[in-house]
Amino acid sequence: MTVTVIPEMTAGTTRATLRRNFWRGVWRVLCRKPSRMAGVVIVLGFAVMGVIGPLLYPANLPRDDNALYAPPSLQHLFGTDFEGTDVLALVITGARYVLLTGLATAVITVALGTAIGLFAGFRRGRWDSALMRLTDLNLAIPGLPLLLVLSTVWKFTSPIEMGLVLGLLGWGGVARAVRSQTLSLRERGFIEAARGLGLPTRHIIGRELLPSMAPYIAMNMLIAVTGAVYAQVGLFFLGVLPFDANNWGVMLNLAVFSGGALTTPAALPYLLAPLLAILLLTLGIVLIVDAMDEIFNPRLREE
Amino acid sequence: MITGTAITKTFKQRGNVLGKREVPALRGVDFAIPKGGAVSFIGESGCGKTTLGRIIAGLETYDSGEIVIDGTPMSSLTHRNRQPYYRRIQLIHQDPYSALNPTRTIHQTLEAPLRLRARQTGRSKGWCDVRAEELLDLVGIDPGYVLPRYPHQLSGGMRQRVVIARALTMDPEMLVADEAVSMIDVSLRLGILGLLRDLRERLGVSVLFITHDIATARYVGDEGELYVIYRGQVVERGPTETIIADPVHPYTQSLLSAIPVLHGLERPGAEQVVPTEALDEGQTDEGCLFSRRCPFSTARCESERPVLGHDGGESGEATVQLHACFHPRRRSVIPQGVGA
Amino acid sequence: MTRDSAAPEVRIRDLTVVYKTPAGELPAVSGVSLTLTPGTITGVVGESGSGKSTLALSLLNAVQPPGRIAAGSVEIDGLGDVLHLGGEDLRRTRGRKVGYVFQAAQSSLNPLKTVGKQLLDLGRSHDVADLRALVADAKALLARMGLDGARVLDSHQHELSGGMRQRVGIMLALVLNAQVVVLDEPTTALDMITQATILRIIREVHEERALTTLVITHDVGAVAEVADDLAVMYGGRVVEHGPIAEVLGTPRHPYTQGLIRAIPRLSGDISLARALPGRPPTLGTLPVVGCVFRERCDKRMEICETVEPETVTYDGRTVACHAAGRPAPVKRREYA
Repeated sequence: MTVTVIPEMTAGTTRATLRRNFWRGVWRVLCRKPSRMAGVVIVLGFAVMGVIGPLLYPANLPRDDNALYAPPSLQHLFGTDFEGTDVLALVITGARYVLLTGLATAVITVALGTAIGLFAGFRRGRWDSALMRLTDLNLAIPGLPLLLVLSTVWKFTSPIEMGLVLGLLGWGGVARAVRSQTLSLRERGFIEAARGLGLPTRHIIGRELLPSMAPYIAMNMLIAVTGAVYAQVGLFFLGVLPFDANNWGVMLNLAVFSGGALTTPAALPYLLAPLLAILLLTLGIVLIVDAMDEIFNPRLREE
Repeated sequence: MITGTAITKTFKQRGNVLGKREVPALRGVDFAIPKGGAVSFIGESGCGKTTLGRIIAGLETYDSGEIVIDGTPMSSLTHRNRQPYYRRIQLIHQDPYSALNPTRTIHQTLEAPLRLRARQTGRSKGWCDVRAEELLDLVGIDPGYVLPRYPHQLSGGMRQRVVIARALTMDPEMLVADEAVSMIDVSLRLGILGLLRDLRERLGVSVLFITHDIATARYVGDEGELYVIYRGQVVERGPTETIIADPVHPYTQSLLSAIPVLHGLERPGAEQVVPTEALDEGQTDEGCLFSRRCPFSTARCESERPVLGHDGGESGEATVQLHACFHPRRRSVIPQGVGA
Repeated sequence: MTRDSAAPEVRIRDLTVVYKTPAGELPAVSGVSLTLTPGTITGVVGESGSGKSTLALSLLNAVQPPGRIAAGSVEIDGLGDVLHLGGEDLRRTRGRKVGYVFQAAQSSLNPLKTVGKQLLDLGRSHDVADLRALVADAKALLARMGLDGARVLDSHQHELSGGMRQRVGIMLALVLNAQVVVLDEPTTALDMITQATILRIIREVHEERALTTLVITHDVGAVAEVADDLAVMYGGRVVEHGPIAEVLGTPRHPYTQGLIRAIPRLSGDISLARALPGRPPTLGTLPVVGCVFRERCDKRMEICETVEPETVTYDGRTVACHAAGRPAPVKRREYA
C-alpha cells in the first residue's frame, strides 16, 4: 500500500522546473536515511581533499631527519614516514592521484560498457553476436599479468593514463550486464510503442532506455570507482609501478616491507593512515549507492 | 482498409536435442477491416488473436500470406517502405502501466511523437503543446492535471487514456486494442469502450478490438464484425450482434455458455454447450481442431477439417455469417433478462 | 475422512485494519462486520481500494506490516477469535482449519519443486502423521476436479496450464480438511471456459465437504455463478450484503446499482450501460468524514458530506446508505 503525495504542479511545467524538482527530490532522498548523508559528506570530503589538498602543502613535502617513523603526536597526527615527512600530509596530497584514476577508470568502463551493451541488446542479431564476442575477449584478458608486463615499458605517471588502461581492461562486465537489462527492457510496452510510433532509434536508446537504466548505471559507476581504487593501490603495493612517496599504495608497500609495520609498532600509523583512507572512501561510496535506486525512480523519489 | 489473405505463422520453440517444437499460431487466416469499421477478435489465450493483432500493427512478422493496406500489397515493398503504412495502425497494449515510461512525465511522453509528427507535417514546435492538450481533451482527461505527472500518479483508467492519446499523435487510421480493458477496474471499463466508440464516430478511426470477454466486443460500436478464433483458425465470423444472439459454431456456443449468469437479473440460456476439457498438451492437428473437445463431433470431424464458409458457398461479405463446422446449428445459449 | 461437526460460522465484527503511510495510519478496512452463514459461499466483490484482499488476509491473521489490525474480531466456530491466536496456534490454524487459495495460484507454487514435494512439505509442517494417506487424499481431490492425480503430483509448476494450477491451489487448501476456505481472485487470468469449470468445481467441492467458503473477487459475474450471499465492498467498508439474487436483482446501494450498470452484458441496449463516474479510491484519497462513495454517487445528499451512513440490516439485507430507504429495483429496460 502506498500513498502518493502529489506535489504542487501546474500545466506549464518546463524543463527547468522539472530539473529543479529533480534536485529537490534528490535532497529529500538523501535526507531520508542519515547514513546517506554521511556517505555524501565523506565523498565530498575526499573530493575536496583531491582538489585543494596539494595546494595546502609545498610541492616538496618537508622532511625531518630527526623524526623518522615518529609516533603520532599533535604535530604529526599519524606520525611520520621513513623520511620524516608527515603521514597525514602524504595521505592528503596522495588523494588526487587515486581519485583521478578512479574517476577516469569508472567513466571509461561505464561509458564503453554501456554503449556496447545497449547497442548489442537493442540491435540483437549479428551486431549482438559480434559485440558479445568482443566482450568475451575483454573478460578473458588477464588484467593483472598484462598490467605487470605493461608496467615494464610504460611508466604510468599520469593518473589518466592509469585510468585509461584500467578502464579498457574492465568494461566487459558492465557491457554484459547492461545488455541483459536492455534485452529485458526492450520488450516493455513503452519501448514497443515508441517503435510503433516510428520514433528514431537514437531517441529510443537515449531517451527511453537509458533513463530507465540510470540507477543501474549510476551504481555501476560508483562501484567501478572503488574497484579502480583497489586495483591501483594493489598494483602500487606490489611495487610494480613508479615510486611516488605520497601514493597510498606505495605507502602501504613501504610500511609493510621497509618499515616492518606488521611486526613492529613503530610504522603502524604509517600503515594505517592510507588503509583508513581507502576504507573510508569505499564506505562513503557504498552509502551513496544505496540512494541511487530511489533517486532515479520518480515513484520512489516522490514518496 | 486493410485485408489479409491466408496469413500463416508458426512459432519455433526451443526444443531439446531431438528437435525443435513448432507451434502453429495462425493457420491461413483471412480478414478484412474496413475504414472506420469495428472488428473484434474473440478467443481464449493462445488462440492466435494477439499474434494476428500484432501482425496487423506491424510488430510481428508472418510466414506466408498477403497483407494489403489501402490497396498496396505489403509484399511489394521493402521493410523500410512498409513503415509509413504500418504507422497508420497503432497498437494499444493490455497493461497501461508498462506501456508508459515510468521515468518520464506524460508531457515528455507525448512530446516525442508530437515533435516527430510536427516535422513530418511541417508544423512549428508550438503546435506540439497545443496538440497535446487537444488530444488529452479528446480522450476525456484534464490536460492540466495529467501533463506534469508521472504514470504512477495516475489511475489505471487515466493511464489507458493517455496511451490512447499517444497512439493518436500520429493521426492513425486504425487502433488495435489488445485486451485494452482487461486490467482496468470493472466500473471504468465502459468508459474506455465508450471512448473507442467515440473516436470511431468523431475521427473515423477503425478499431480492432481483441479480447477474451465477448460482452465487451459489443461496446465498440455499431455494425461491428466478430471473428471467433480457435487455435489459429477463424471458426466463425459475422456481424457481432448476430453471432452473439445466434451462434452457429459449437466453440462460439461454448464460449457464450461460459459467460456467468447474473442470477436475479438474468436466467441462463435455453441450451448450454460445455466442451470436454483438453488437458493434455498433445492435441491433434488432424481434422477439425475443435473435434476433441466438441460434444457434437463425429467421425468426419476427426479426419476432415472444415473450411470457413457460408452454407450457401459464398464468403467474404461482412454482413454474412460464416462458420467452419460440418454440422452447425443455432442454439440459444446467452443469458436472458429477467425483466424489471 | 473424519470431520468434526458441521460447517463453522465465521463472524467478523467491527474489523479495522490500518496501514502506516507517510501521511499517518490510514484504514484499508474500516469497521467491517460480516457473518458467513455456515455451509454457504459468500462472495465479496470490490474494486481496487475496496479492502477486500486485506479482509481476506485478516481471516488468517496474516496482515503484514506496514499494516496492522487495529480493532475488531474474527471469530470462527471451534477456534475462537483468530486475531488472538499467535505463534504455533496460528500456524496450525492456517491450513488445517482455514484453507487459503491465493490470488493467481499460478504464481504461488514453488517453480523448483514438484507439486508432490510441496504437498509433502505442507503435510510435514502441519505434523500430519500419515503422509501416504495425505497423498491419497490429494490424488482423490485432484481426480474429483478432473485431473490425473499421479501425473500432476509429479509435475512442476511450469508444466501445468493455468486452469490446472488453479486446481492444484484449491487442492492444497483443502487437503488438510480445513472447514473454512478463502479463495482470493480464483478466476483471474483464466479463460472463460476454464473459469466456468473452476467455478463449477468450487461449488461442487464446497457442497460435498460442507464447507463455509469466502470468495473474493472483482468480477461480479464470477461470484454470481457460485455464491449464495454477496457482500459489496467500497473504500474499506461493506456497503451492501444479502442473498445474491436479491442484491443483483434489487440492489439498494448506489454503488451496487452503478456497478451492475457498468458491466458489459451480452444483450440489451449498449447505450443504457454506463461506467461509474470518477475513480476508485486509493488509501490516500479516501474521505475521512461522511460517506466514502459520495464523489461518484448520483443520489448524493447534504448529509452524505458529514455523516457516515450506518449499516442497517433488515429483511436479511444489509445496506449502508443514507438514500437507501426502501428497496428500489434497477431499471433494466434494456432487457426485452
